[in-house]
Amino acid sequence: MTNIRVYITGTGLITPVARGVLETKTSIMNDVRGIGPVTLFPVPRDRSLPVGQIHESFEADGLPRTHQLALIAAKEALADSVGPPDAIVIGGTTGGMTLTEEHLKRDDTSRDLFKYHATGSVAEYLAAKLKCRGPVITVSTACSSGTAAIKIALEMLREGKAKNVLVGGADSLCRLTYYGFNALQLIDPAGARPLDRDRRGMTVSEGAGMLLLEGKEQAPDNATAEILGAGLSCDAYHPSTPDPEGTGALAAMRAAIKDGCISTSDIDYINLHGTGTIDNDLSEARALDSLFAEDKPLLSSVKGAFGHSLAAAGAIEAVISAMGISGNFVPGNAGCNTPDPELHLNPVIEPIERDIQTVLSNSFGFGGNNASVVMGSPKETRAAISSQTPLPLTVVGCACITGAGKTRMTEKAVSESQSCKGILSEREVSKDLSPKTVRRLKRLSRLALSLAIAAHKDSGVSDNPNSIFFGTGWGPLSETYDFLTKLYESEEHFTSPTDFIGSVHNAPAGQMAIQFRSTGPNITTTGGDYSFEQSLMTASLLTKVQDDLILVVGADESHEILSNLFDDSVSGDRTPADGGGAICLKLERTSSGLRLSPSFFEYSKNNPSIISSLIDGLGGPDGIKLKYGAVLAGIPGSHREKGEEQLSKFVAGSGFEGPVIDYRRLTGEFASASAVAAVLAVCFAREGKIPEALCGRKSPHLNGKGILIIGLGKFVTAVEVIT
Amino acid sequence: MEEAVKILIDELRVKIIDTLNLEDIVPDDIGEDDQLVGGELGLDSIDVLELVMMIEKDYSVRIDNKELGAKVFANLRALADYIQEKSPGLSN
Repeated sequence: MTNIRVYITGTGLITPVARGVLETKTSIMNDVRGIGPVTLFPVPRDRSLPVGQIHESFEADGLPRTHQLALIAAKEALADSVGPPDAIVIGGTTGGMTLTEEHLKRDDTSRDLFKYHATGSVAEYLAAKLKCRGPVITVSTACSSGTAAIKIALEMLREGKAKNVLVGGADSLCRLTYYGFNALQLIDPAGARPLDRDRRGMTVSEGAGMLLLEGKEQAPDNATAEILGAGLSCDAYHPSTPDPEGTGALAAMRAAIKDGCISTSDIDYINLHGTGTIDNDLSEARALDSLFAEDKPLLSSVKGAFGHSLAAAGAIEAVISAMGISGNFVPGNAGCNTPDPELHLNPVIEPIERDIQTVLSNSFGFGGNNASVVMGSPKETRAAISSQTPLPLTVVGCACITGAGKTRMTEKAVSESQSCKGILSEREVSKDLSPKTVRRLKRLSRLALSLAIAAHKDSGVSDNPNSIFFGTGWGPLSETYDFLTKLYESEEHFTSPTDFIGSVHNAPAGQMAIQFRSTGPNITTTGGDYSFEQSLMTASLLTKVQDDLILVVGADESHEILSNLFDDSVSGDRTPADGGGAICLKLERTSSGLRLSPSFFEYSKNNPSIISSLIDGLGGPDGIKLKYGAVLAGIPGSHREKGEEQLSKFVAGSGFEGPVIDYRRLTGEFASASAVAAVLAVCFAREGKIPEALCGRKSPHLNGKGILIIGLGKFVTAVEVIT
Repeated sequence: MEEAVKILIDELRVKIIDTLNLEDIVPDDIGEDDQLVGGELGLDSIDVLELVMMIEKDYSVRIDNKELGAKVFANLRALADYIQEKSPGLSN
């Protein structure tokens, strides 16, 4: 139980409709539609489709558009706040893709041009600009990212991990999504007409929405709305098509309503996902039919006016919903002339002034990722929150892949202090996967699926995992590269819909969900070398049901062109490497097994005392000596000097005397090498000792103590494997 | 005309296997009247869209909506007939 409630005390918006929250309200009330032809990049005449583009020029300065949009919205959200936010959680899908596409098209191969490519670099850029020390998390669950980010921030605040969190979503238009959705025949040539009888698809757009959330026992005076609850689910049905029955959508809405301790009759307005595609609107309508036995509340989709800004959409619509609560209005459903009778929905077509106290807002995405949030007036007196506290994560199974092979081969190589660098053959990676299942999957999805199946098998548990958490530094590089290459070779006429679906960061997690029929939360996080740690932290915040089985997976693929361009650590090592690790965990209040616990995550920039904070966070020198028998240290090659300095400070400051293993020298350089380290730590802890070859003159015996895995460099992270 | 369609059908068999990476299928496995989508080949809507791209690229024939796609991709013969009829390079 917790007394903390979560309030919105700052908001920021930039969209094709307007810049600024007040301006957006004016535009909404005047029924402004931000849809028009694309001019951001040239498109062939026969491929011209309407988009939601922001027609405002930004200072270029080598910074991608998404980063600029995110900062504009973040500054507005923080305009009245004192000091930086404690944490940042951002939804994103394509990061610096718009610029990356330009450079790849021109065959520019200077690595400096790609320094903002990563999807996770948007949140990191905000953290640097706003002097936030972290945690900093990037959620990439396609079109539900913005709303999923709100759920994560909500739990962080409820748990007291932060007092305030900047949360939001940002995405700019780029070729990948423009041509990708077109290849899927999901674009309406007339512009999105959500819920309309003649609708033919969505309109891809861009923008950013940011909210400052504060955890308080009572509503602050400046609160515009309260986040009452949020719910996540996964269809586990298809990589890109929603479950036609809307089962997953219904589950997310029900979870949000339950989490918010309200009932369906409390809801005054539903902000629909309402993309305008035939399948989405139908699936959402069916879910609403099941949720509301009788009359439905007022409802509308704003995507006919704003377009669908993918990861930003959920955050933008959360801001609009909060504006509706504080400003007494309901936005109209632009684009809908004749509601489709098959949907049984009667949308608010024109904006209306209305006192609304409670709003449900939906976001659904590729991979069957569903997220819903319920928000209410901060003035209402409400029942106490019945939020459960997270349960410890007990390790029941694990698996890894490195250049040396799968788990046993990797463990063997490491125990002899031999290098595991390299790239395991596709055939070996896919050995236990059915050819039909993996026919359309490229390397990263195959790695992740293979790891997940092996970790679950290792657990010996017959139940399937309910929730999937996936961390990846760079996402599916093969699909991204192949998609763009085909596009450019055909002078922007042809590309592969399969590659588009496979290119989203959460595609591997979607595959894992389908494999195990995992209908619980399905979250993909991305943040360079700390992506696996982000997924562990997210897992520990979002899983609360006793005996639930979950999978936390970290993986990255080596791509012969893109890995070198994007990842400075990779380009600094002559031997390419990839792989990852998966851990199957059970939520148990009491257990005698090994426990995995993410215990520290801070950003090094503007944070001179970060190592002291780490030592304090782990219980000080005495606590560290008492708890850990060994340290596995992850120092990315691009931050070797800084990382070594941090490690020396940690060892000196904590007085730690056990073995310290610099594991990247063995695993090689890839963003999710820490997932391999976590699996190795589990293997060592099960044995009760560290392989002697890794210990030098120090004692290999753990004597009942645990193992600490620390990440160093740009961020400093700690994960404990304890008995 | 019939002969031309037969040649086109054989060509499409190979292209479908290549485009969709159907590792365990040989051209003769795809019968002229076999159901393409949801049948034994295990093809779904994404495969159809992948084939739509291939057909536009290789035959300059555009299949740009679901309703048309369902008709054209009913089976190999229907697909070949449609391409034969619409392709500027193949029409008589």
